[in-house]
Amino acid sequence: MSDKQFMRETLVEGAHAFKAGKMDRRTFLALCGATGFVSASVLAGDAQAAADHVVMWNWGGQSEECHGSAIGEAFTAATGKGLKFDTSGPLEGKIKEMVDSGNVTADVADADLFNAVSLGPTGHLEAIDYSVVSKEKTLPGYALEHGVSIILYGYAFVYDTEAYGDNPPENWADFFDTEKFPGMRSLYKWANGSLEAALLADGVAGDALYPLDMGRALSKIKSIKDNSLYWGSGSAAHSMVVNGEVSMGMIWQNRGRNIENDTDGRYKLVNNQALAMPGAYIVPKGNPAGRDAVMKFIATAQEVDAQLKLLDCLGMTPSNPAAFNKIPEGQQDYAITSAKNIEKIVYNDPDWWGKNGGDAVNAFLEAIS
Amino acid sequence: MLALRKHISPGWWLVAPFFLLVACLYLGPILNILWLSLSDPEPGLQNYSKLVESDTLARIMWTTIRICVITTGFAVILGYSIAYAMVHAYRREQSFMLTFLLVSFWISILVRTFSWLMLLGRKGPINEGFEAIGLISEPVAFMRNELGVLIGMVHYMIPYAVLPLLVNMQTLDQRVMSASRNLGASASQTFFRIYLPMTTPGIVASALLVFILSLGFYVTPAVLGGGKVLMVAEYISVQLLVTVKWGVAAMLAALMLAGVLAMLWIMSKFMKLSTVFGGASS
Repeated sequence: MSDKQFMRETLVEGAHAFKAGKMDRRTFLALCGATGFVSASVLAGDAQAAADHVVMWNWGGQSEECHGSAIGEAFTAATGKGLKFDTSGPLEGKIKEMVDSGNVTADVADADLFNAVSLGPTGHLEAIDYSVVSKEKTLPGYALEHGVSIILYGYAFVYDTEAYGDNPPENWADFFDTEKFPGMRSLYKWANGSLEAALLADGVAGDALYPLDMGRALSKIKSIKDNSLYWGSGSAAHSMVVNGEVSMGMIWQNRGRNIENDTDGRYKLVNNQALAMPGAYIVPKGNPAGRDAVMKFIATAQEVDAQLKLLDCLGMTPSNPAAFNKIPEGQQDYAITSAKNIEKIVYNDPDWWGKNGGDAVNAFLEAIS
Repeated sequence: MLALRKHISPGWWLVAPFFLLVACLYLGPILNILWLSLSDPEPGLQNYSKLVESDTLARIMWTTIRICVITTGFAVILGYSIAYAMVHAYRREQSFMLTFLLVSFWISILVRTFSWLMLLGRKGPINEGFEAIGLISEPVAFMRNELGVLIGMVHYMIPYAVLPLLVNMQTLDQRVMSASRNLGASASQTFFRIYLPMTTPGIVASALLVFILSLGFYVTPAVLGGGKVLMVAEYISVQLLVTVKWGVAAMLAALMLAGVLAMLWIMSKFMKLSTVFGGASS
């Protein structure tokens, strides 16, 4: 834990104690000074307000600005509470560590829905309060006990129009066919999406993917291993494509939009058979802002308005069915739940991933290394 | 108590609380890791038995050791040449060389890794240049494979290899070499029979330092290996953060620690470690 974080927590604790009357004003002000809270806001009232916010744990970059404008502003207008960010990335191991250590500093994590399946039963997450959050405002099957899908992101692919301009690849079968479409490929390193794409390419129907046939998927992955690179982050996936390292690359569909723009359309996004991944909000057990505040925050994020703003700003696709037919014309190609794409996508099963994900990742790493 | 007082200088009592604190802060987490490797997900040796059962772990270990050995070899040979040149350069040139060495020492590993990716990538200046002059018809795959990892790691490790060698070479008595020449040995005889043996402690020190640091490499293999070169450090991080198999991660971490300690122990059988780390040789 960094010093800064420690100072911040000390101050927040202090503010709580001050508010509850357990600490006098003078001590609290001294604490403000000691923790380096030295601006014009060393007024007890302001520092006290520091406790009245929700901390969102996300992945940084653009998402900070986008979550602020899309959800934070509406949330503040409705509840008077602010929104702050921890941008260190809520990986499953980090959430577990945070809750186990008893030092929970985040209220809501921008994670995957399968995290809710694996961390929920072990007692690391608060249950979602479905009297505040709505099950109708997400896709069926994506409102689980310990997490609810707010957005969808998709594993799609981009291809080089200069290499395959006359006869473009159309689906995962083409992606895995290095004879008909010679060239390098890139796939996601942590198995998710890659396994599904391999099975779809091998002829498995989209609604019959789960439980995943690991042996079959891995042998398909190995069949193009000599022509494949593997990426672990969105920026790596992006650079592999725009630097010409691969002629077809698996990509998160919102990154696909950026790549099309960055390369003036040289690389084109294919959303056919895109794998819809439910991105979910989950709440670490014992979150500092309390359960009520964070549930209101999650409910705000479900609203059509917030969903459309997230699409515009981050390229994340709405999961609230009421937002589907309000997706603007310019986003129809990129949003996987738009009228143009929704019939062609394949849905991820968070239950399978939550229960088998760890072993699947290790088997995948074994196959590619 | 009186006997104790005779052997322990009273100054130690002043340092003792801090010494104890530091020892606890170091040992606590290490013991915790060892405990985790024996208790997660359930008590027993099942994490360690995976080492024998799973060829994946054996393969990852083998990849790691292979890459570290090759990196150490190249880094020490190149570092030796640089240190040798520095010791024998004029003072002015020497300080220039030292500055360049330290500057590359200070640049972040991420920046250095990505620079290699740009320089040697498929569309990098090297490949494009060679193609333009007709030397190659297809871009050479320098990056996103084991070769890329090795290039990146050797480059990162060279300053670590140079510094112990430099210290060692600077303390040598130049008159010994002069005496050797004076007694009729050729230049190469003098180097191989006098200079090289005298720099052995420096070579061992830099090889140890480079090898141990290489074991923990994470960023460079992950970026330059294109996902196909899996080393222990990255595997540990995946087990900690993604698959949440902390027992396996702790087991591998404990194993690496034991490996490093074992290496130091074996070394100590052959030579006094204190000379390696700059102590008196007698």
